[in-house]
This record gives sequence, structure tokens and C-alpha cells, in this order.
Amino acid sequence: MSDLDQNSNATPSLYNGAAIHLQDVHLSLTSAAGDVDILRGISLDVKKGEAVGIIGPSGGGKSTMMMVIAGLERVSSGIVETAGIDLTNLSEDGLARFRRDNVGIVFQDFHLIPTMTALENVAVPLEFAGISDANERARERLYAVGLGHRLEHYPGQLSGGEQQRVALSRAFATRPAILLADEPTGNLDGKTGQVVMDLLFEMHDNAGTTMMLISHDRVLADRCDRVITLADGQVAEGAGL
Amino acid sequence: MARNETSEFTLAVKFARRELRGGLKGFRIFVACLALGVAAIAGVGTISQSIEAGLQRDGKKLLGGDVALRLLHRPASPKHLQHFKKTSDFSEVIEMRAMVRSSSLKKTRALIELKAVDNTYPLIGTVALKGNVDLHNALERKDGIWGAVVENNLLVKLKVKLGDVLQLGESQFRLTGIIEKEPDRVANVLSFGPRMMISTKGLAATKLILPGSQIRYRYRISLNNKVGVTSWTEELKIKFPKAGWRIRTTEEAAPGLQRFIDHMTLFLSFVGLTTLLVGGVGVSNAVSSYLDSKVKIIATYKCLGAPSSLVFKIYLIQIGILAGFGVLIGIAFGVTLPALAIFAFQGALPINPEAGFYPLPLITAAIFGSLIAMTFALWPLARAREIPAVNLFRDKFQSSQVRPHFKFILTVILGGLSLAVLTIATANNSWFAIWFVIGTGGALVVLKSAASLLTQCAKKIKGVRSTQLRLALSNLHRPGAVTSSIVLSLGLGLTVLISIALIEGNLSRQVNERLPVMAPAFFFIDIQPRQVAGFDQTLKSVPGIGDYKRVATLRGRIVKIAGVPVEKVKIAPGVEWATRGDRALTYAAKPANGTKIVAGTWWPENYNGPPIISLDANIAKGFGVSLGDTLTLNILGREIEAKITSLRKIDWRSLRFDFAIIFAPGTLDGAPHSHIAALQAPKKLEDKIEKVVSDQFNNISIIRVREALQAAATMLDGIGAAIRSTAAVTIFGGSLVLAGALAAGRRRRVYDAVVFKVLGATRKTILSAFLLEYGLLGLATSIIASIIGTLTAWGIVVYLMGMSWVFIPSAVWTTVLVCMIVTMIIGFAGTWRALGQKAAPLLRNK
Repeated sequence: MSDLDQNSNATPSLYNGAAIHLQDVHLSLTSAAGDVDILRGISLDVKKGEAVGIIGPSGGGKSTMMMVIAGLERVSSGIVETAGIDLTNLSEDGLARFRRDNVGIVFQDFHLIPTMTALENVAVPLEFAGISDANERARERLYAVGLGHRLEHYPGQLSGGEQQRVALSRAFATRPAILLADEPTGNLDGKTGQVVMDLLFEMHDNAGTTMMLISHDRVLADRCDRVITLADGQVAEGAGL
Repeated sequence: MARNETSEFTLAVKFARRELRGGLKGFRIFVACLALGVAAIAGVGTISQSIEAGLQRDGKKLLGGDVALRLLHRPASPKHLQHFKKTSDFSEVIEMRAMVRSSSLKKTRALIELKAVDNTYPLIGTVALKGNVDLHNALERKDGIWGAVVENNLLVKLKVKLGDVLQLGESQFRLTGIIEKEPDRVANVLSFGPRMMISTKGLAATKLILPGSQIRYRYRISLNNKVGVTSWTEELKIKFPKAGWRIRTTEEAAPGLQRFIDHMTLFLSFVGLTTLLVGGVGVSNAVSSYLDSKVKIIATYKCLGAPSSLVFKIYLIQIGILAGFGVLIGIAFGVTLPALAIFAFQGALPINPEAGFYPLPLITAAIFGSLIAMTFALWPLARAREIPAVNLFRDKFQSSQVRPHFKFILTVILGGLSLAVLTIATANNSWFAIWFVIGTGGALVVLKSAASLLTQCAKKIKGVRSTQLRLALSNLHRPGAVTSSIVLSLGLGLTVLISIALIEGNLSRQVNERLPVMAPAFFFIDIQPRQVAGFDQTLKSVPGIGDYKRVATLRGRIVKIAGVPVEKVKIAPGVEWATRGDRALTYAAKPANGTKIVAGTWWPENYNGPPIISLDANIAKGFGVSLGDTLTLNILGREIEAKITSLRKIDWRSLRFDFAIIFAPGTLDGAPHSHIAALQAPKKLEDKIEKVVSDQFNNISIIRVREALQAAATMLDGIGAAIRSTAAVTIFGGSLVLAGALAAGRRRRVYDAVVFKVLGATRKTILSAFLLEYGLLGLATSIIASIIGTLTAWGIVVYLMGMSWVFIPSAVWTTVLVCMIVTMIIGFAGTWRALGQKAAPLLRNK
């Protein structure tokens, strides 16, 4: 376990053994046209260190489930435990601290801070965690992904592949227990996407992180230990441990 | 664990610094809005303090000594003079109004402000005469004729030149010099003519010093260092308790000027504050749009584990730094501009302001600027704090959809209250400040409601056939519309401008139109009782004259109200004038026609008892006295206590002869006094009447009312123009807000224009839709502001100034037109780029 994954505000786990535990999770969102059921009774367990690929049609609830696991979205009903922490009763700031200490996220759109250099972007979560040598560690992570020569470049000066590599370094910077990746190659060409995916799996293997990878690409998902299909807000296939 | 080693604040500073590397883009308007308001407040305060410092520096010069005493109608007694001589150096100056005639064939004549000086005048400073002529040498009697020095405009008026001889009373004076500067002369609104200075001996020769004449005897006292001003004046009061003189020291050398400066400072500070408030809307807009552009970054921070408090601090620090920058720029302008203005207008003001660095107004302006920035920026900042991390996954999101935490709503309210308290605490008239705060607060609420109403109306209008109009209307209400902020900011500025234009228009109308119709053509003063019959006869012999009235008068000062010395009585601000100087008094057996007695009864015609008076009901209310109470007046050195037996309602604006205090017969009849008269006459007879009177009665001063009113109107126009142009600063503030709002929405405009073009709209269609939108916005804002501004002006004119009200459409139309042009020009400039945008590159990037 990383030295960062402490969360004083978290409720102790009710369920032992799974890095991610969802039990009968429902999520409805209110819109002008009426309530929309996005997740409809998802139950799911992911083991520590396991890599799980999530596939399924658009609008099936893949991204929403990932948000629920990251504590970005609150469920209407059900139990959500990530990294052994029950997220149900955590406050907004409690959830932010939980993510800081336990979760790394890789986005399709990278979401780097445009006014910060690559080095600063990677250092952000380390700085949030109060690490004194944040820059040193960030530098190491960037060298590890082959961006040692791009440390002082701003996102606007980097290619898409480079930006995503910075985002990967940022997600792994605090050595989180859980890594969530939402279509990480969705904005990249095939070759660059391949490089990024290799890097992602390499980092996962080295760090022993539990990983959840959302993808439209079945081939990519198949590189994971297990593949779960989500459709119409429900698990269609592969939910069990 | 290293977590606690770096405090949240340090982290916030680090992140704020990184974000600010992006530059000030988007914050120029923010900085400009704050700088403008702060500069206005700091500038007004600095100028005011500079003038006050100038007054203090020149106090002794303006006063003519350490202490100045003034007596009316009579000189100081030999005992007084002996005391002055024993305890100080002193100088006697006698002032009055008089008629002077040229001795040439044309016999031109003019009313002058006559000043007779003794050999010791001036005790402080020097009288500057053209060509460095010595004053006392110029005033000496040579070849049997006394010398006189005059202001240049008298030469123009009388068509005379140096060396010519003038007739003044029963003596002749040769013009020996032109006055360039008089050390003790402060600009006087009630100056009816040019200055003529002669010696006191020369004045005696004129035989103008007659009983009851309106003569002011001034004694300027210069004390040696060993004697303090306070102890000297105290001793004077003990030694001569009933002398009846007005005593002034250097601290109140020019109270009239001081009051004028105080009023102008108050008014201009309010203009500055309004500008800052208008700017506050710009601040809020700029912060909102900046934070809207940061929504994804804020969400990313949160995804990466930043708590809301850290996010709040990161942006609070950035806004704080920028606000500090804006305040500093404002302060810099607030220091520099007054110094430049003082330098540029050197010599144009009655006193020379002391240019310098005055920290107090700068600190006040900085506090106001910081408070405004905090109050207006806090709302969007607090909303940004609540932006959820999930936002990264949603496409369209605006921080305006989030409601701030209650503690921030409370802080914003506290900020507003602090602004109100600071406004009242720093104003030199708390009562006006309270009304200003209530008025501004009310105006903001009304404008905000009107903006919502306008948005709703725009939403409800259906079935418009014109595409441009439909687009324009929908732009007024769709998300991100600038309607609310423009109505609020530009509306507030316009409200101020329209109120001022209407108040000033009503005042001008009073002076330019109403007064000339009601006012007599002439006032005659200093008519001696022995001249009364002849004078009446002379005037009545001129065919074609109108209404003629004459009354006995002398002056006296109220020293006690209901037995309590005036300085210890709390007097309502509206009637303080009655105790400020000497009041004209009269006596009458019967009430004049049109007298409105509202309490008590008029005395019997043959009354012959102890002193009783009829008093102006408004003054009685302000003094807190009623029937049966007493007023004590010092008249010619005697204190007379008189009982109030009736109260009258007086309309001072009617310009009829009226007196705040009228005595019953028996008290003043025996005192030396003179008569004053008023005469209505057509303009064509004015020269003739002046000639007839001045030929026969050379001691009687003739005031041509039309000229006096003209002078007053010119002065009022000047002040009005200055006030209007100052108030236009608020409109400038509003324009900045408009420009800022447009800049913030420019991307959306460009995108809209491109989509319209893709769908087949021509540039003309798009342009006319945009212009229509800004035209509608300007028109709606103008209408709302016109209504609020007119109501405000009406309230002030009718209730505060007590004048009759007339709506002046031109004042409103002009302002409305200016507003519409401003909105359309800025709107056009803001959207011009959108028209030229090529569609393809933008669509490719989307």
C-alpha cells in the first residue's frame, strides 16, 4: 500500500478483499425531460491489482460508473466502496481527499492545466498531497515515460501523445491504489494510442495498481485480466470476481 | 508525513502565481473599472484636502490678521479701539456698496463694492497694483482730490481710464491704480460690482456714512507671539460682552468658501462612489467570465484531490493581486491628476491649493476599492468553489448554475453593509450620505428587477416576423446574455446623469426663467429716512413704472434662542443660515398684503409694549421654538429679547419683500436705520430710472436685478457644466462594463456569426441583428434609468430644495441619446470582428 493512501475522514470498509465493490448501484439524473436512469442496479467487484476492461455501447453507463467509483458522482441508491472506503457518506471535500490519496484518473481529453508546464502538471497531485519533493518525483515520472526533454513545455506545446503521457504520469504520480482510465486513446491516432496503452499497462504492472479501463475497443479491453460489458445501465457480462 | 509541511495557503499562492502567468488578458476591464472608481475617490479627496491646506496656509492672509472682528452699521467705540491699540496691531477696513459716476460728459455709473482702508492695511500680505504702484501713495489726496484704485472691469464698465476722476457720494476721486490682487479677498457669490478701494479719510469726505446705512466695519487684529488667539478673544468677550461683533479666527477664515468646498467634495465623492459601484458590476462580470473559463481546470484540481477551500484560495489570491493592482493604479492617478489639475488651473481659483501627498483620501479610496472588489468578486468566487469535479465529464456548464455556500452570501451582505457604513462615516454630511446609500441601494434593486423583467419580456415576445429582431430579442434573454449587467451598470450611471441634468435644469429654469419674471428690476438700498418722501416722489414721477415697495430695515444678529446662546442650541441644518450672519430686520404696524399667519395673531396697530416679533414658521420649527418663546438679537450693540407672538409662512422664492423677523412698532423705530425699496419696471426704463435716482441721491445704491441674476445664471451654468462632466465619469464606468461584458462574450458572438453564415445569413443581416440588440438594450436601459433618475430628481427638487418641479424632456432625451449611441458603438466595436470571421477554420477547430 502506498504511503499516501490514508484517509482520516473515510468510513472503514464493510467489505474485505475487493479494491472496488459496487452493490446494487442505481443512479438517476434529473433533466428537463424528466428523470433518466443511468445506472440500474450494478453490482461489481474488482480485486486488488486486477485490470478490468469495461466495454459496451455509448450511453450504456460506462463513464458514469467510473465517476461513481471515483466519487465524482453520488449514487441514488446502493453501496460504493473504492480502495476499501465507503464513499456514501463522504462530503465533497472528503471525496476530494479520498481521490487525492487513492485514485488516479486518465481522461480522453487529457485535462492538463494549460498554464502549467508538464513538470508542474505532474507535480499537482503530489503538491496537493503535501509531498515536499513533488518536483523531483514529477521529474522522475516524466523521465520514466520518455518526456525528460519536455519538462518545461506547456500542454499547448506538446503533441496529443505527449500530453496523454504527461496525463499518465500525473495519474500515477501519487502511486494510487486505483487507476481509472476513460478512453485514454480516444483522441490519439492508432500508433500513438498503442504507445500510450503499452505505457499504461507497464505502469500498472510495475505499481501493482488496480486498474479499470473504459474503451470502445474490444482488442484493447482484452489486454486486461477481465472484461465487463455494460449495457443499458446494467452489467451484461463478467461482473463476478 | 510531509503533508502538513506545505500549508494550504502557500500551495494556493504557488498555484495562483502559475495561473497568473497567463497574463492579464480578460482582466484589463476589471483593473480599469477599479482604477477608475478609486482614482475618482482619491482624486476628489486629494483636491479637497489640497484646497483645505491652501485655506489653512493662507488663513491669516485671507482673514487679514490673527483675528477679524466685524460690526454692522457702526464703528468700534473709542474704548474698543483703545483696547485694540493696547493689546495688538490692528487695522480698520470699512466696506459698503455705493454708486460711482464718471465725471465725463457721458456720466456713466456703476454699483461698486467699496472698501476704505486705513494706513496700516493690509496687516498681512500686500495689495498688488498694476505697475507696482504703492497702495497708500495711490490713495493719498493730491491736488485736492483723493486717490482711488479699482478693479479693471470698473474701467470697462464706466468707460474711463487711469487719471480720470470719479464722483463718489459728495467727493471726487482720481483713478490712480488697477488692483491685481487683494490678499484678503475671497470669491464672493454676493458680489454685486467691481471693487473700488479708497482711504478711510477719503470715505469720510464722501459723506456716505449715514445712520442705518449697510456699512461693515472690519477690524483685523495681529497679535504678537506672546498672546494666544484664544486667550485674546476670550478676554475680548469678557471685557465687551455686548459689543455685538462677529469674531473670526484663522481656522474659519473663509467659511462660505469652506462650505462650498465641503458641498462639492460631498457631491463629487458620491459621483466617485457611484463610479466605483458601477465598476463593481464590471468586476463581478470579469471574475465570473474568468472563472467560467477555468471551470475545467477547477474540476481537474478537484479530480486530483484539491479541497474546495484550496480552490477558493487559489482564485481569491489571484483576484486579490489583480484588485490590488487596480487599486494601486487608481491611487497613482488619484495623486497625479489633482497635482496636474492644480498646476494647470493655477491662479484660476480664489485660493491656491497646496499640492501634495495626502494619505487619508488615498487610504479611504483604497479601502473603498478593496471592499468593492471583495464584495463583487466574492459571489462568483464562492460559486467557483462549489464547482463539482464531475464537470470534467459534462460539456456545458457554467458556474452561475451553482449557488454559493451560505457563509459567503453572508459575507457579501456584510461587504455591502461595510460599504454603506464607510460611506456614511467618511462623508462630511452623514444625513446626505444616508440618503445616498438608501437611494443607491434602492436604485440597484429597481435596476436589477427591471433587468429581470426585461429578460422575461424578451422571452415572452413571440411571432416576430423580422429575423434580425427575433435574433436580437433572443440575445437579450438567452443564457450568458449581458442584459442584466448592462442594465445595472450603465443604468446606474445614467440614473445619476439624468438626475443631475434634471436638478440642474430645474435650478437654471428658476434663475433664468422664473426669477426674472417675478423679480423686480431694481433694489435700492441705504435710503435715509429723510430722503424717503423725495425718493418716493422721484420714482413715481417716472411714467411707466410698475409695482413699488419700500420698507425700513436694519440688521441684527440672533444671539440667543429661548434664552440659550445660539452656539449651544441644536439647530436644523436647513435653517442654520439664519444664525450664521446678520439678518435684515424690519418693523411694521400692519401685516403686508399676502402675509400668511399660521400661528398666533398679529399685534394691534397701536401696539406699544415690550418687544414682540413675528417669526418665519420654518425657522421657528428649525430652532425648536414656538409662540411665547423668545429670541434675543444684538442690534447695534444692544441685546434685545423679543417674544414670538405669531408665525408666518414665507415663500422666499417669490422674491417679494419679506423678513424672517418682523418687530412690532416701538422697538426699532428709534434706532438709526435706513430704507430699502424694490421697483418693477420694463427693461427700456432701467437706464432712465438709474440716472434719475443716482443724479438726485448719490448715497443710494442701485442694484440692477437683471444683471445680478444674469451673473448668478452664468455662474450656475458654469458649475452645472462642471458637475455634469464630472458625473459623466459614471457613464464612462458603465461603458467599461459594457465593453468588458462584450469582450467576455466575444467567442460566443464569433461562433454565432459563423453558424449564421453557414446557414446563409449575410453580413448585413448579422450586423443589423447585433445593432438591433444593442439598440434595444440601450433603449431599455435608458427608459428604466430615465424613470428612476426623474423620480430621484423630482424628490430632491420638491422635498430637499423645496422648489417647484418641471420635467425637462430635453435633459432626458440628450442623456438617453448619448446612452444609445454609446451602447451601439461599443456593441458594434465588440462584434465587428465576429462579422469578419471566416467559417471554415473555426468549424475545423470545433
